[in-house]
Amino acid sequence: MDFKRNIWLQRAYTFVVCVCALLLIGLIVSPLQRKAWGEVRSLQPELNLKEVEGALGQGLVIGLLGGFRTIIADMVFIRANVYWEKKDREKTEALINLTTAIDPRPMFFWLNGSRIMAYDIPIWRIREAGGLDDVPKSVQDEIYQEQAQRGIDFIDRAGKYHPGDYRVPLEKAQIYNNKLKDTEKAAEYFLQAYHSEDGPYYTARIYAELLRQMNRQQEAYDFYRQLYNELPDDPQANKPVVLERIRELEDELNTPAMQRLPAQPGERYLPGYMQEDLPIGVKTPFGDTQVPPGEIYPYPEPAAPAGHSH
Amino acid sequence: MEAPAIRIHSLVKDFRIGLRGWKLRAVDDVSLDIHDNEVYGLLGPNGCGKSTTMKVVLGLLEPTVGGCEIYGVPSSQVKSRLNVGFLPEAPYFYRYLTGRELLKFYAKVCSVEPGKIKPRVTEVLEMVGLTEAADRRVGTYSKGMLQRIGIAQAIVHDPKLIILDEPTAGVDPIGSAAIADLIRALKAQGKTILLCSHLLAQVEGVCDRVAIMDRGKVVLEGKVDDLLSKHDQQSLLVDTFPEAARADVEAALAKHGAKLTGVTTPRISLDDLFLKHTGKGGPKQS
Amino acid sequence: MNGICHRILTIGRNTFLDAVRQKFFNALVILSVALIVSSRFFRQFDFGSGELKFIADFGLGAILLFGSILAVVATAQLFYSEIENRTALTILAKPVHRWEFLAGKFLGVFLLLAVFTALMAGILGIMLYWRESSLMDRYGDQFGGQRLVSYAGLAGFAVLQWLKLGVLCAITLFVSSFSNTNLYSVVVSFFVMIICQLQYIARDSWESIGNPALKGLVWGLSLLFPNFQMFNVGDVMLFPHDATEQLSAGTPWMIGGYGVVYIFVFVGLAVFAFRRREI
Ligand SMILES: Nc1ncnc2c1ncn2[C@@H]1O[C@H](COP(=O)(O)OP(=O)(O)OP(=O)(O)O)[C@@H](O)[C@H]1O
Ligand SMILES: [Mg+2]
Repeated sequence: MDFKRNIWLQRAYTFVVCVCALLLIGLIVSPLQRKAWGEVRSLQPELNLKEVEGALGQGLVIGLLGGFRTIIADMVFIRANVYWEKKDREKTEALINLTTAIDPRPMFFWLNGSRIMAYDIPIWRIREAGGLDDVPKSVQDEIYQEQAQRGIDFIDRAGKYHPGDYRVPLEKAQIYNNKLKDTEKAAEYFLQAYHSEDGPYYTARIYAELLRQMNRQQEAYDFYRQLYNELPDDPQANKPVVLERIRELEDELNTPAMQRLPAQPGERYLPGYMQEDLPIGVKTPFGDTQVPPGEIYPYPEPAAPAGHSH
Repeated sequence: MEAPAIRIHSLVKDFRIGLRGWKLRAVDDVSLDIHDNEVYGLLGPNGCGKSTTMKVVLGLLEPTVGGCEIYGVPSSQVKSRLNVGFLPEAPYFYRYLTGRELLKFYAKVCSVEPGKIKPRVTEVLEMVGLTEAADRRVGTYSKGMLQRIGIAQAIVHDPKLIILDEPTAGVDPIGSAAIADLIRALKAQGKTILLCSHLLAQVEGVCDRVAIMDRGKVVLEGKVDDLLSKHDQQSLLVDTFPEAARADVEAALAKHGAKLTGVTTPRISLDDLFLKHTGKGGPKQS
Repeated sequence: MNGICHRILTIGRNTFLDAVRQKFFNALVILSVALIVSSRFFRQFDFGSGELKFIADFGLGAILLFGSILAVVATAQLFYSEIENRTALTILAKPVHRWEFLAGKFLGVFLLLAVFTALMAGILGIMLYWRESSLMDRYGDQFGGQRLVSYAGLAGFAVLQWLKLGVLCAITLFVSSFSNTNLYSVVVSFFVMIICQLQYIARDSWESIGNPALKGLVWGLSLLFPNFQMFNVGDVMLFPHDATEQLSAGTPWMIGGYGVVYIFVFVGLAVFAFRRREI
């Protein structure tokens, strides 16, 4: 058959050449691509197809997979915020769930979402039910409970995509503390947040303070002592505040002087509560005045004690 | 002997139409030689294969059978087009460029020396009578002006062979007369021109040789003078011609065995009339 | 050689001018700029550094989305306008090789994409810098005294994005070189793009497929199409301090090299398919 005259032979030839060329190149670059892709891939979370497919039509799934998940998730989240402004509970919640299903990577979707569920939506629901004054207290409590639980469940799912991120337990702890008034659980999660990587120092202090609220002074004291040892000399760590708490607890527990934490360099004179009943026999650089272990600054410190955030 | 400007030998061009590869024979076994410094006209009804022939000559289409050479170089080679300018039918250019920018672009593509581009562009614009519109965007040009800028881009790099597909389509009679003059001037410069046109009067005026095509085949080919003169008849032009004089003439002719076959009043052509009344004062676009 | 470069550059420049002077391009640029800038005003998140990520995500998403549209539509449009307006005839009737014509077309669109990504990345960078500065004043502790956004990373990522769009442009050119209508090549190119975005699924799963025939097929498919997900490194490059793992120094170069290889391959195939096309 005359090759030049047969259009199908020609087309087939072109096609075969193109496919072969692409295959060949694919083979040649495959070591390079395997190496680079292996690395890029390890940095990307798995796409949660099941969740998305339930919520969306097929078309969007394809668009999503097409690499536009970030921008689509952003758009959906913006939509959710539009409904948030209109205080439309169902749509807000649905769209927040959709957002994180599309792109679970950005933490602020999770945080913002759980806050809306735990803090904003109960108010809307009570208002819908007739307002703060008319709805019976028991019903209000129930709504608060329910929504707080939703917020917790929601942020719990973030843990799957961000294992070890301190913001997940921190957020949970805050909801337990502020909304469910479950000090026990709140303390547990504050501690977990502290132990997570990059966990902020203040979470440990909150944990100990919650122990104190639960009248577990000794436990709190022991924890503070250990914390004081662990903490680096970083202004962020607020060691003086920890020391202050230790001194408070020593007083509360009436710890014998010998078992108390020895005087610390740079320990500040803390006005207000220790001056009156100082342990006997402790000397100060100024003479016989009884002062707590530690130094007194030669001049009075004008500043209020730092870090009394809770 | 030097190679002819264009040699087309037993050219056949089939187009496939439809998915199943039905074939349409657009050019059927055409052989032509176009000599150096000659104005050659390709005539024929619509769809007879004129444009297709030109495209094959330029290597834009592949011949099915046969082939073409330009100055001895096969059309399939890019270097055969080094000295060729082409105006396609119904041209339409980058509408966002001005006429001058467009010509500069084509000059650059044709590797005209950078220093010579500017004067050459101005010169060519003058030749096609577009000087005044040179700095307007091509998108605003009228049909005839597009045709002119098309001719300008075909000659901007001073090629030896110029192929014009319907150079006067849509151009007013003054313009076509100017284009005819331009073609004659190019011939005088030693260029070879291949053109096709439906304005036969004009073709008659500029072409040295013509070929008439029909359904892909060349049906007649030769020198214009040879093809058009009726060698067995002559005509007389007389200022006033009374009845009596006519009888005398007939008698005189009869003496020589010749016969007066008819008397007509010669008419000037509409073209001439148009030119006379619109004033052939050069191109007049603004 | 000199003449070839000269011709390709001339055609490329002309293509670029053609695109820039079209309303479509300008509208797309304005839209993308508006989108990037507006991300600042959608909502105030009281998340400190989280908001930066949102802006960055949104901006990069806009660049990818509009860049892809631009790469596909501009390439197809600029190519077909040449064919339809018969300007390709006038150019190819000059001593210009067909491959030079295609290379020039590609170069023009590639230049257009360069301008587009540079512009968008620049605006995004300015937005991020501005926002970051004001957030640092308010939430200093989250920043630990240093900037969170790596602006060098942004620039590097913009280059990678440009190369990716270049591959897409080359693919469109390849499709256009044999397809007959503008619409067809736009649709097919978008389709190919989606496959390229998805092919990582095939690539990652072929090892776990039992059926040898299916395995071979999946393997072949994953070789046929370039892997566009490789270029999804915006997060790591923009926020290197945040990421748990870092990209090693050579990886962006490898990804870039991958893009360049595929640009050449697809332009080459476009030339091959275009070589005997009747225009
Ligand atoms: N690309 C193509 N595909 C299919 N058929 C074509 C193609 N180009 C031309 N033809 C056909 O080839 C024949 C010759 O066309 P061509 O354009 O050469 O005619 P022409 O002599 O230039 O006519 P006109 O005087 O109208 O310009 C026509 O029947 C036309 O339909
Ligand atoms: Mg024609």
